[in-house]
Amino acid sequence: MSQASSSSQAESPPVSQAQSPQAPSPSVSDSAADLDAPLYIAWQLTNECNLACLHCIEESGPGKAFADELDRTQIFAILAQCTSLQVPYLSLSGGEPMLHPLFFEMSAYLCASGTQLKIETNAHCLDAARCERLAELGVKAVQVSLDGATAATYNRMRARGDFAQALAGIRLLRSAGVPVEINFSPTRFNVHEIEAVIDLASELGAYSFYTGRTMYTGNAVKTWHLLAPSEEQYRSFFAALHAKSAQYRGRMRVYFHEQGLLEELRYRLRHPAALLIVLPNGLVKLINALPFVCGDLRHQSLTEVWSHFRRAWADQRVAQFVEQLAADPRRTAALHRWVYL
Amino acid sequence: MKLAKFTKFREEKFGGVLFETRAEKVFTLNPTATAVVREIQRGSDMPLLLEHLRERFEDRGTLEPEALAFIAELRSQGLLEE
Repeated sequence: MSQASSSSQAESPPVSQAQSPQAPSPSVSDSAADLDAPLYIAWQLTNECNLACLHCIEESGPGKAFADELDRTQIFAILAQCTSLQVPYLSLSGGEPMLHPLFFEMSAYLCASGTQLKIETNAHCLDAARCERLAELGVKAVQVSLDGATAATYNRMRARGDFAQALAGIRLLRSAGVPVEINFSPTRFNVHEIEAVIDLASELGAYSFYTGRTMYTGNAVKTWHLLAPSEEQYRSFFAALHAKSAQYRGRMRVYFHEQGLLEELRYRLRHPAALLIVLPNGLVKLINALPFVCGDLRHQSLTEVWSHFRRAWADQRVAQFVEQLAADPRRTAALHRWVYL
Repeated sequence: MKLAKFTKFREEKFGGVLFETRAEKVFTLNPTATAVVREIQRGSDMPLLLEHLRERFEDRGTLEPEALAFIAELRSQGLLEE
């Protein structure tokens, strides 16, 4: 999984941000805490990946699959609960989800059940037949990580990756009629290409573009000296994003999170997203940017995990961790040392 | 009139939610708004929709204009299509 993803980062779109169209009577619930089930499940299907990206939040890569990843029976038991509880939206990510042997079977199950499905991929496992298959299934979107407008920057960021192959994959998706979103993670060596990569996304036919700040976690802990943009670079980056957002209004949505991780997490403490992050082994995280695990779908039902998820956000250890980040932002380096709530 | 392609609806204890999955926006609905959306999902036309609302909720003369305003709001948010 890359950084600045639209679905599973702390800097993701505010799935829980309840809004209410004018209703025929004045009483409107405004809390995701009242929901009977999650609205969104971000499922990291495997930690295996064909690439070894410098910034990967999950430290995915070749040979990095968890030893205890879910088996077929466990996976389809979870899927059955998702459809039974009418979870409307689910994303499959990784690692590289298309490397998983059950990827298409799972996708077919979800699409047939009416779940809106997003795939988050590096686009290196796509060919014409696979793109046609995704189109036939009716996936809502395929989100492709494109961290540069040139081979020089993209290939530097995505070790073992190939810029031309990523572009070819996106073009195949669009030829098949699959909606495409583009995701970009800024670093000190690609941040200057933000305008060019947004233009490229538009030329490729993407309908959305996502970005935010790159997080100090996962592989980025070891490579931070190569990655971290300066505050001045970030200022120029966000200025360019504001301009591009206006330029593409009505044609392609340019979505970005300017605020830092701490502000985002403080907001989440008050307004938890109706989103469960499912790890390859069935553990469920509170949010990707925190180390807390609030359930285990191998041993608990989705309803039980959802119930505990809502209580877990009120656990004092969560608020304490967030405030400790204010004093020491580098605490995100330890997000993979899971803390069970 | 029907829910837009990327709009999902789910009933909840408090009423319901509409989830626009392209923009990833959530709209929470009270019981009356939920009843309107349920009728839209069933394919009811406006007269039938209003008839069913009146069967279920007290009408002090505001039900129709409020339901119409609500439907117009759903349209403006891109949650409905023809």
